[in-house]
Parts: sequence; structure tokens; C-alpha cells
Amino acid sequence: MKPSSLICLLLIVPALAQAPEDWTTYGKNNAGWRFSELTSINTNNVPSLAPAWIRQFGSNGGNETTPLVVGGLMYLTGPSNTAWALDARTGQAIWSYKKASPAGLNLCCGQVNRGFALQGDKLFKVNIEGVLVALEAKSGVTLWETKIADYKKGYSATAAPLMVKNLVVTGIAGAEFGTRGFVEAYYADTGKRAWRFDTVAAEGDPGAASWGGDSWKRGGASTWITGTYDPELNLIYWGTGNPGPDMNGDVRPGDNLYTCSMVALDAETGKLKWHYQFTPHDLHDWDAISDPVLANLTVKGKPVKALIQANRNGFFYALDRTNGKFLHARAYTKVTWADSIGPDGKPVLIGGNEPSEEGTRTCPGLGGGHNWQAQAYSPQTGLLYFPSSQHCMLFYKTKQDYLDGQWYQASTVGENEHGVGSIIAIDPATGDTKWHFDMVSGTSAGMLATAGGLVFGSDGQGYLIAFNARTGKVLWKFQTGAPVAAPPISYAINGRQYVAVMSGQSLIAFAVPK
Amino acid sequence: MRFLISLCASAFLCAAQTPPPAATQASENGRVVFRIYCAPCHGIHAQGGRGPDLTRGTYAAGDTDADLHRTIVSGVTGTEMPGFPDFSQNIVGDLVAYIRSAAQREPPQIKGSFKDGEALFWAKGGCGACHKIGSKGGTLGPDLTRAGRQRSYAYLLESVVHPDADISPGFETITVVTRDGKKIVGVHRGYDNFNALLVDQAGKFYSFDKNEVTSAKQEYRSLMPGTYAKLFSPAELDDVLAYLMTLKGVQ
Repeated sequence: MKPSSLICLLLIVPALAQAPEDWTTYGKNNAGWRFSELTSINTNNVPSLAPAWIRQFGSNGGNETTPLVVGGLMYLTGPSNTAWALDARTGQAIWSYKKASPAGLNLCCGQVNRGFALQGDKLFKVNIEGVLVALEAKSGVTLWETKIADYKKGYSATAAPLMVKNLVVTGIAGAEFGTRGFVEAYYADTGKRAWRFDTVAAEGDPGAASWGGDSWKRGGASTWITGTYDPELNLIYWGTGNPGPDMNGDVRPGDNLYTCSMVALDAETGKLKWHYQFTPHDLHDWDAISDPVLANLTVKGKPVKALIQANRNGFFYALDRTNGKFLHARAYTKVTWADSIGPDGKPVLIGGNEPSEEGTRTCPGLGGGHNWQAQAYSPQTGLLYFPSSQHCMLFYKTKQDYLDGQWYQASTVGENEHGVGSIIAIDPATGDTKWHFDMVSGTSAGMLATAGGLVFGSDGQGYLIAFNARTGKVLWKFQTGAPVAAPPISYAINGRQYVAVMSGQSLIAFAVPK
Repeated sequence: MRFLISLCASAFLCAAQTPPPAATQASENGRVVFRIYCAPCHGIHAQGGRGPDLTRGTYAAGDTDADLHRTIVSGVTGTEMPGFPDFSQNIVGDLVAYIRSAAQREPPQIKGSFKDGEALFWAKGGCGACHKIGSKGGTLGPDLTRAGRQRSYAYLLESVVHPDADISPGFETITVVTRDGKKIVGVHRGYDNFNALLVDQAGKFYSFDKNEVTSAKQEYRSLMPGTYAKLFSPAELDDVLAYLMTLKGVQ
């Protein structure tokens, strides 16, 4: 690290940690809590919450971004390589950014983007074609661009980067195209690469034996949601996605490390400190990419530095984040593929759940019990909040040869049942569900917890909903006019607290009327 | 990956199928893509379901390769068929190859008289009370103006005999019990976590806040009577199906 970056770090990091009115990183803090310390919107006055302003962008595609707010300015990314800076009090645009994306992208899920990372006067985002970009925060002018992956091979980039000291840490997407995932760190000032961790174990890696033949070359394990960071342990935590091809394991015998896993990486070197695989030899596309939430819990009377996640495979997990040891797991939705997770941390499998030519019914379905939707953790209640689906699907296996850069799934799914959804509050120390709000469907929206005793989330039909964080009682709701596919954030300007969320093509900022 | 099926939920009618002719690499690639994107509506073997049967070798939006390319890329306006503008030309070509290989070119055996079926539909069956054909008929049930294009024979037969087998989106049954004990049953016009909107059999529209009623529920069943297999003789049923299969849109 250069001395100048060190000074910068010393000045900035404590400042960021001390600013409850701002929202300066994807998960609000390094631990991914999405917990706002602001209290002026609270259980008493939330029923009067109303839109303060609405900004319509008119962009095409899904809006999944977590806006950042600092110093009264809001920075947010849109689909198709777009971004804006807005006055966070009025929604007035200050600058905009647009970079044409190339033709010939291979995307599973649209030209989405989930947000900026911020350090000092610089913003960092990925563009869909696999380019990491640094922008000047006050102007939106490009400072540097670094290619991180080749879109022609099926890679794409969608996640908000994570700032760790002077490093911009980024993941990648593309596990449906025979790619090989990674986590990389780049120097914030130059865009030069500091380190890379390959999430598919290759020859020479202790995990290589978990792949039959050369199947690791197309092994997937993409890293398409932002990780978290523990500065005391100096470890970065990042979840990894499905093995490739998705629901056909015939060509990839073995556990397929490090797919569907949590990896803990040394922040200086990117070296693997530990890993834990939630779903060995996954056959149902159950990525483990959901944000790893870091919380210090008391488990069976003992304090433990935990990592908690509602995994896509239908189980909620708590791990010891110092060493990756399994603490406990509990099904939070309907699960038919495993009886339980054993004391050794391995699933106790139920037979007959392998995808087949004519279809095999398994619960949860391909989207999982809880997918990528941002979780929220409240230190006030000690509860973890996340949206969930209860849904089963038919999983089909087909034959498919690998072609460079082409869709490589060798499998598909069908639905013949109507799923339902819920928003769940779980006690991470035990896995007990404390409350749940049942919904007519699942939702793509994420969660926000606040010190006002509130939790915000959205259903699949456009309602932004405020719950009492302890009881789950609905205290307020607002029909935003389009399905929400992003998590809400909260910030304050001159003491006035806002809750803001992307809905459809609009950013809506709510406040208690003056 | 995130979502695979976002187009529509579906019921598979896995009818027995004759295997397709020897598959080329293109048609085999197409079959894989078809299973992912098209099977939810057109059936796992392209035999139709909520979407048209594609094994007949004749297509509503045109029969040439160019027509099929355009239909896949751009969709069909005014129908449930979306476009797939992000598909590469190669993928579209593979899909067309698969659709060609799946086409049996033998139209389903239609035994009945469509003329007699038309009379049965409007008179004895009373189907027009709820279904519209062209500008004639009611609005409670799905519009059947293009039913012969949009649905397969097997799907239509099942829909007449077992109306609950697959409910088209937007035609679920909603039942509300109000605080004064009144029970209102009707067809879905909107149902979410907080509201229930419906039209009853008399055509009256209701909008309820779920918090202000005793109960509100949505069921995946049809308001259509399940008695048509008894009402119609087997020969009459053939006639009605023959009529439905002639419905290919207003000329």
C-alpha cells in the first residue's frame, strides 16, 4: 500500500463508519447489515410516511441497484451501463453516465446492475460486458476502466463492488455459459489488479479432486452478489454460484469445489483462508451468492463471530466466520431434497431428487427458498430479515455439448404448481423463525432494517411495506406502481430521514411530511 | 443464475409423443433452448399447452422459416407470445430447426361437425354467456376468438371436460366474505397481499381491501361448470371441439 492511500484510508474509513445519515456501501456497513441507525422515522410515525419525490428514469430493463448517499448526493446505477448522481433532497439529476454495451452479450438475466462502491471522490461500478469503471464522484467523468472478463466467453458483470481499504473487490457472473468464476481486487487509484481468487479449483489446488476430468474448466461458481468484510480478521467473505452445467451433474462428478460455497479470502492476498460448501455437487442451481451477513451471536451460551445466510437451497445457516466451521442450519421453507444438515455440516440427502429426462419434482424450485435478495440484520432485535419463496419445480436433464461462450446448461425446469412467498424474521442464534408475513408470491426485492424499530421490504406486486421489526405487524404500505426488484435504503439530510427504493423505472424517496 | 422461467407459469400436458425424426445438431441445440424458453407455454415436446401446438407444421404467424424467425425474435402482438430479441441468429436458427423436426405434419383427427358444434356452443352449451367469439358473447371467461390457433386440440378438450385442469392467468376464482356475512364469488381482476378485485357472474365489479372483509381467497379453479362431459354426448363433444378448432381469429 502506498503511503498516500494509507492516509486516505485513515481519514475516510472512520468517517464512513460514523455517518448514520449516509449510505456508503452496498450492505450499509462492511458486515452487510443494511441497518440504518436513523430513528426519526419510527414505529410511531411511520403510518404517515409519504413520497417526498419521485425520479423517473425511463430506462429499459430491471432496476436492482442499491443507491449510495453521501453528503446529500445520491449515486445510483441503472441497467445497460447507466448511472446518475441526484440531489438526494429533491431527486434533481446532477450528472448522468452512459456507456453503450457491446452487441453479442450472453446474459442469463438481463443488463442489470446492483450499484456503486464509493471511496473518497471516486465511484466504482462494473459494466455489463465485464469492465470495472472508476468515475469521478462530482462529475461522473471516467477516471479509468479495466477489463475484468471476456463477454464473448459468456462472462458478464452485475454486482456492486466492495471497498476493502484501497482495493476495489469485484465478482463476476456467467455460470450458465461454461465460464469459471473468480473474485478479484483492483487498486482504487490505478485500476491495476492486486489479486485474483479462482472460485473453481484447478489442478494444483487441494479442491481439484472434486471435479471429474477437465470439467472444472467450465465449472461456473460465479460471484454475482457483493461480499462482506471483517476488518479485525482481515477476511473478505464471498458467496459462489452454481456449478456448470447447472442441473446436469453427469459431466462433473464430485463435490465441485468451490461452487455453492462461502469462501473466506485474505484481504491482502486473496488467498483462501477457509471454505464451506452448502450444496455439494449441486443439481438445482442453488447458488450460495446471497450476501454473507456478519454478526456476533451467542450460540448455546457461547459467543461466536458468525456468518449467517438464508441459502437458496432452503436452509438458513450459521457458520463460525473465523474458521468456516458449521454451527447450525434450519429449513425455513419447504425442502424435499435433504432431511437436515448433519453435525458435520453436510446435507442428509433424500434420494430421488436428481433431475431426469421426464422431470423430477424438487422443493425448493430453481429460484430457491431465498435467492439474491438483500437480507437485513438488526442489532436492535438480533433478527435476520429476508424474503422467501415456497415453491417446487420439475427439473429436467438434457444433453448438450459445450460451445465456447454459448449457453451451457444441459438441463431445464418446468413449473406446474403455484408458489407462495413470505418475509421471514429469523433468530440467527437458533434458526427459529420469529415471525413471517405470508404473501401471494415471492419477491425480487430486498430488505432494510432501521433503529426506528422498523423493517422495510416489498412484495411481488409493487407494495413497499414497513413492518414492526419485533412483531412483523404491517405498520404502513404504499403501492409504488411497479414490482420492486431492489432493496430500500435510508439516509438523512439536515436531520430529515428518507427511505428510498427503485421501483420499476423510478426512484421513490419517502419521508414523514413536514 | 437468477431466474430461468419468467415468461409464464404452466401446466405440462405430457401427452405421449412419437419421437422426432433423426435430430441434427442444430435441432438438438434448438431442443435444449426450446425446453428452457418455449416449453413453459408450448409444452415440453412442443405439443402445445397454454401456447399453440407446434407439431402441426402450420403456424398462426406464418409458415416460412423467415416467419418463424420473426415470430421468435419479435413475438406476436396481441397474444401471450413474447419476443426474444436477445437471441442470436444461431439460436433462432436452432429453434426453427427443432420446431421443424418436431412438426409431425399430421393434423389431429377432427371427427365432429363444426357446424353442429357452433349451434351446440351457443344454444345447448350456453357457452357464449361467458366466452366471446369475435364481438359476440360474454367476458367472464377467456376470449375464444383465436382458440383454434392458440390452444392445442388436447388442451381444448381438457378445458371443456375439466375446466379446473389449467387456469389461464387472470381467470382464477376469488371468493370474498364481507363483514356483514355476504359471500361474493367471481373472476379475478386483481389479487395481491392487500386487495381483492373481482367481477361476479352478473358482471358487477368489486374492489375490496382485504383488511376490511372477513375473508378473501383466490383459488386456481374455474367458475366454469365441470358438467360438460355429462351435458354433451361424446358425439356432441366432438362437434364442439371441431367448432373450437375452426376459431382462428376474426377474418
